[in-house]
Amino acid sequence: MAATAAALSPAEAERERLRGLLHKKYRWLDYKFDLVFWVTAAFVVGAAADITKLLFAGDWDFWTDWKDRQWWPIISPFAFIIIPSALQYIQWLAWRFPTGATYTAVCMFLCSWVGRVYQWDAFVTYPLVFVWPATIVPAGIFLDWILLKTKSFVLTSILGSMVWALVFWSSNYITLAPYLQPAQFMGHILTLADIQGIEYLRSQTPEYLRLVENGTLRSFLDETQYVSLVFGATVTIAGYWIGQIIARYLAIWPIGKFIKRF
Amino acid sequence: MATSSVAVRRAAAERRYGPTDWWGGWRTCILACLGFTALFLILGIYMHAFAWYAGIDAASPEFALYWRSLLILELVGVGVGTIAWWTWLVRSGRALAQAITHEEEVRRIVVFWGLIGATSVVLYFMASFFPNSDGAWHQTAVRDTAFTPPHIVMFYCAFPLGITMTIGTYLYGRTRLPKIYSAANGFPWSFFFLIAASITEMMQVAMNEWGHSLWITEEFFAAPFHWPFVTYGWLASGIFALWAESALRLLGIEKEAEDEAQPVVSQPAA
Repeated sequence: MAATAAALSPAEAERERLRGLLHKKYRWLDYKFDLVFWVTAAFVVGAAADITKLLFAGDWDFWTDWKDRQWWPIISPFAFIIIPSALQYIQWLAWRFPTGATYTAVCMFLCSWVGRVYQWDAFVTYPLVFVWPATIVPAGIFLDWILLKTKSFVLTSILGSMVWALVFWSSNYITLAPYLQPAQFMGHILTLADIQGIEYLRSQTPEYLRLVENGTLRSFLDETQYVSLVFGATVTIAGYWIGQIIARYLAIWPIGKFIKRF
Repeated sequence: MATSSVAVRRAAAERRYGPTDWWGGWRTCILACLGFTALFLILGIYMHAFAWYAGIDAASPEFALYWRSLLILELVGVGVGTIAWWTWLVRSGRALAQAITHEEEVRRIVVFWGLIGATSVVLYFMASFFPNSDGAWHQTAVRDTAFTPPHIVMFYCAFPLGITMTIGTYLYGRTRLPKIYSAANGFPWSFFFLIAASITEMMQVAMNEWGHSLWITEEFFAAPFHWPFVTYGWLASGIFALWAESALRLLGIEKEAEDEAQPVVSQPAA
């Protein structure tokens, strides 16, 4: 046996060491710690992602008519990527799992739907066809895939954020498209989403905030959303690094550090 | 039965379950998470039942009956419960042995993880479940006072319970996990951020209500005036450091137990 061990190359020896570590039997550490962590962390992760979304981009997520071409592709990808970026760093550092963005996306998906069904639909009776939340699960999968391939947070921040903005818009466009069909309403041509915004009572939201798309951007070759998407991708890079700062300095840096004097 | 006292039965039950059995050390996690979920769901159902019926006009007698009484109940209940729990943690912690077996330390870490898990559940209701009801309410009913039905549930029950849990979890670690959080080590940055999250959220309520009484900037929910609430979600990242610190200690315990189990090799006689 000693002769076999001596014949192992350093790479093979390292592989054997890691394999031994993987299959190591512990006395107390078992699957329950993993299970409790992943389940209970889902609550705080979903909550952090949801509150960040609600307070930075909530209105664009609440209403169908706010999912516009001018602001929605910019503000939402920026606000939505912050916590997925943080979890991506934490899970990659802790386990080399490229799963942080997807995990956060699923947690936020569940939190958002509980909120919309239980509070917006059941409590104040807005129909779900008007208040459905956008999803970031496809965008999260792509972001994690890019980290897996590049193994670089810098490259993921640039390439991943751009893909994130694009996938966010395109994956939600599938749900949104039916509400962008034109319809005649009081002598005007409006989208179905605009008509929803006018018909359903929002007593706190004044009229001037309901038709949010304005300015000369509308005349930009009639392709407003593409200009917004590119700008949104740029802004999303900043959002990604806000998430990285949160993970690096608020979640990882404090481990084992103490304040000695007050 | 001669041995029917609660203490004797509890000791017998604890011997029956190991420190990492579901109904052993993990019992705290299961009961606390389910308990908080049940409490907040009951408050949510109450809100759905009586918010529109009695919560529109803060000057009405119905409001006083259904909502002001709930407000007082919450403040007194959470206040008394919090002080009682914190006091018990500190007083009983002083009487506990600090030199403990590996098994006992593992059990305490498991209970600690249960408290972190329960804190996470409370933070969810603080930051997602009830803010959704508040947003829905503000977009339709328009606020009249700082004491709307969603505020009464969220600001004066869920938010204070966040402080109860973050500080209570610290006190548990401080009094029962000396290898990680003893006073000699100082005050942990992980808890500093987590406790700051729950406290800044509560303080932000005052700033929010003061500002709304001046500017009423709630035409849309993502108003810059609401952005400071986000700091809560970000500071709560400190919770990951708690999991990491205690997991590192668990690995340390495993290593110590492994070393102790190694047979001592005696030196051959010369």
